[in-house]
Amino acid sequence: MRLLRWLLVPIVVLPLAWLLLSGFGRDPREVASPLIGGPAPAWTLTTLDGETLSSADFAGRPYVVNFWASWCGPCVDEHPVLTGTRAELGDDLAMVGVLYQDATADADAFLTRYGDTGYSHVTDPDGRLAIDYGVTGPPETFFVDAAGIVRDRQFGPLTRALMEERLASIGVTP
Amino acid sequence: MRAAGLGGLIALIAIGVVLAVSEADGATPAERTGALAAELRCPDCQGLSVADSQTTAARAIRRQIDEMVASGASDDEVRAHFTARYGDWILLAPSSPLVWLIPFAAVLAGLLALAAWLVRHPARPGVAPAPLTDEQRRRLHEEAEALDA
Amino acid sequence: MVPTLGHVAVVVGLGLTVYAAVAFVIAGRGGDPRVAGSAGRAVIGSFFMAAVACVAMVASLLAHDFSVRYVAENNATTTPPFVGAISLWAALEGSILFWTLLATGWASLVLWRHRGRHRSLMPWVGATLATINAFFFAVMTWPGNPFVRMTPVASEGTGPNALLQNHPFMALHPPLLYLGYTGLAVPFAFGVAALVTNRLDEEWLRIVRRWTLVPWVFLTLGITAGAWWSYEVLGWGGYWGWDPVENAALLPWLTATAFVHSAMVAERRGGLRIWTGALVIATFTLTLVGTFLTRSGVVASVHSFTQSAIGPWFLGGIVVALAGALGLLVWRLPGLVGGGRPSGLLSRETAFLFNNVLFLGITFAVLFGTLLPLLVATSSGQTISVGAPWYNAVTVPIFAALLFLMGVGPALPWGRASWVTVRERFTSPMLAAVAVGTAALLLGLREVIPLATLCLAAFVAVILLDEVVRGARARARGRGEGPATATWRLATRNRRRYGGYAVHLGVLVMAVAVAISSGLSIDRTVTLLPGESAAIGPYELTHQELVVEPLADDARVIETRAEVRFAGPQSGTLATALRDYPSSPTAIATPAVRTSLGEDLYVTLLASDATSGAVTLHLFVNPLVAWIWIGGAIVGLGSVFSIWPERRARTVTVEDRQAAAVASVEGA
Repeated sequence: MRLLRWLLVPIVVLPLAWLLLSGFGRDPREVASPLIGGPAPAWTLTTLDGETLSSADFAGRPYVVNFWASWCGPCVDEHPVLTGTRAELGDDLAMVGVLYQDATADADAFLTRYGDTGYSHVTDPDGRLAIDYGVTGPPETFFVDAAGIVRDRQFGPLTRALMEERLASIGVTP
Repeated sequence: MRAAGLGGLIALIAIGVVLAVSEADGATPAERTGALAAELRCPDCQGLSVADSQTTAARAIRRQIDEMVASGASDDEVRAHFTARYGDWILLAPSSPLVWLIPFAAVLAGLLALAAWLVRHPARPGVAPAPLTDEQRRRLHEEAEALDA
Repeated sequence: MVPTLGHVAVVVGLGLTVYAAVAFVIAGRGGDPRVAGSAGRAVIGSFFMAAVACVAMVASLLAHDFSVRYVAENNATTTPPFVGAISLWAALEGSILFWTLLATGWASLVLWRHRGRHRSLMPWVGATLATINAFFFAVMTWPGNPFVRMTPVASEGTGPNALLQNHPFMALHPPLLYLGYTGLAVPFAFGVAALVTNRLDEEWLRIVRRWTLVPWVFLTLGITAGAWWSYEVLGWGGYWGWDPVENAALLPWLTATAFVHSAMVAERRGGLRIWTGALVIATFTLTLVGTFLTRSGVVASVHSFTQSAIGPWFLGGIVVALAGALGLLVWRLPGLVGGGRPSGLLSRETAFLFNNVLFLGITFAVLFGTLLPLLVATSSGQTISVGAPWYNAVTVPIFAALLFLMGVGPALPWGRASWVTVRERFTSPMLAAVAVGTAALLLGLREVIPLATLCLAAFVAVILLDEVVRGARARARGRGEGPATATWRLATRNRRRYGGYAVHLGVLVMAVAVAISSGLSIDRTVTLLPGESAAIGPYELTHQELVVEPLADDARVIETRAEVRFAGPQSGTLATALRDYPSSPTAIATPAVRTSLGEDLYVTLLASDATSGAVTLHLFVNPLVAWIWIGGAIVGLGSVFSIWPERRARTVTVEDRQAAAVASVEGA
């Protein structure tokens, strides 16, 4: 009975240590997306070339929505992954880029510098689509299946491995 | 004097409660937008509210709140609109009532525990000098005054 | 060469502190003063090593030595020397180095100050401090080496974080704060030593009092300076956002303040040993937890760094320190129980104990709020926020109760009080509160929190004033002194009490200033072409011109500046700017703040149009903000007054004794 008081030490220390430890390996800025499992937001926006593109154009096909900006460092890192995926899969996978708080001229300069991705990019002048998708900062990429349901989301830059993993959720294998 | 003081205090507290309650309802659309904006978190800031932040995203959200309030949405509908998109994270104050209760429960528990500890056993006798009785106090006053003369 | 010297100094410092820790333990157990002396010299040596390392780092920064990774990441050829020097604490590794300098400084100071005295206690104090410092040297030797080299050597560095270049407070806030954090290891070390030697008693409390109050002052000033700095720099018009880094500084401050109060009860009545011991352990642990939270990248903060190997090391340190100290407390627990109950329920002791519960309540709430997002994310994968609305709603009522207690405490005597005397003491303060509240209502104040704070403040202020006046009057009568002399003489002979009153006055001023400035500030956003004006509150502002040019000190930074003329209670010109730093993707706002005692005019530049010269400005009028900083200064001065050693004992006349006796009877 006297020794019961020693339990105080693990009772205090262990939960605290466990909690603080659990934070490692996790990005504290990552916000869980409530869109997963639900219908992807609908939109009609203008591309960098001045044409109109809408989410209805992707009906019946799986597609990827990538939010990016020319001022975003990690976007440079994931650019080759996106371009490579597009090159590999071609029309098997629809992809669209959405400009996040950026100017058309800067976006064009980015694409000229780092290479064209092979798919269209739309501007989001009011930030409405970013709000609808609950984007907290670029890069964020959403994976929508053929039924129009959001199946997965990548917070932060994509790598080859992450791209394959996320694509699997919408039934696309590279 | 004391009764007046106590009465005044109660009156003030009553006025305070009335003020607090009257602040809550009957707000103008601008006030509602401001209040809602203060509840929502700016998506690309560190903990600032949409009301305090001047980033593009914050301004876009404020515009949307404005539109929704103008078109007759209720406060709950506005909140639901944004939590459907960002999750509960967009609310600066957690929605779960438990989160609000826990700290107050902890304080209450602490106060009760202290009260119980104070009341349970009488103090160790003879540790401190016994405090002056009123009679002794009066005598001390008188003698101190007398020394002034 | 210089960086290598710095690195060598760190490694030598590690060796010295490990040696000191071992030697102190041997001295503690065996009692050989020569071993203790040698260990003490090793601690002082470790301070010199930390100093050498700091000098080496500052020299590398000033010389723009980009072979050192820390310099390459935090310095550029265009960085001004002043900014370069203070970049010592700008980022993670450098800040740990700076921390170690201060920590070894405190250790050296403590050991030197008590050399030759408390021979059974000091070796264990030294062992604890040396172990803590050895930990920091170890972190700098392995996961967090500030002198790590980079090849190939870049020709230009990234430059310091833009937010850190904007304001001279960058030189003030971290040193003050770190002096507080590192200093709080000292009472902890004394606590550990007292537990080891089984001498947790009034003697320990007496020694620890100053060693807690001095770092407490630094922590208070550091927190206030941090709030002031973020107000002047960040541009959102506020000074406290309940960000994890702010909470990290507040948590140990709360438990340290609780300790200062319950230590007073324990000194007078004995007992409360477990409670005061636990508070000292909690305070130090919270400094480590706070440092961990902001350095490990585990929670998101304005201040957080990316996750690195340093995080796990810090977690290990926390576990060892907490488990070790708690284990000691539990080991000695049977001998520590008992005593400390106040003799009367209505007494100053009881008020202090209730204030402890409230302080700990706020500590729990703030810690809970800071860690809850992490807990929820870990257990359910959901993401939630705990932000200012929650913290304010939860802590403000508790702070209000504390404010009330701050008035009640001095009005109650030590020991048992009778209801009759107590009721008398509270009549005028209550009337004052009612009067002030009524006046405020009549003047048009309708916000609840400022109103309530003003009433509470009046209540507390009258009690404080009453205390001082009673004592001074009794002394003046007894000695025939004028009121000012009587007050001064009384204060300097009762520094603890009157210093405490001054600190409470400072807290009161800050409370009122915070309540009024957050409740009654007004703001608006306007877009003005050159020549156009806008009004806010009592001010009228006229936009004059938009200037875009590189900074004089650092040509890589382009400043977009709005020159504005303003008129009102203050008049003149101000310039508010957005600065484009090469290291930052977004422009950094440099708000313009014009401070007067009545209010601050605060202007931020949101956007500009170079072609038309139009600017979008966010204007604020924040009442009474200056009084927050003034209140902080009063708290600092009051604490210094309280800690200042009183003059040696001198002959005490009968009149002095009598005046003191009357004062303590009438009001103590």
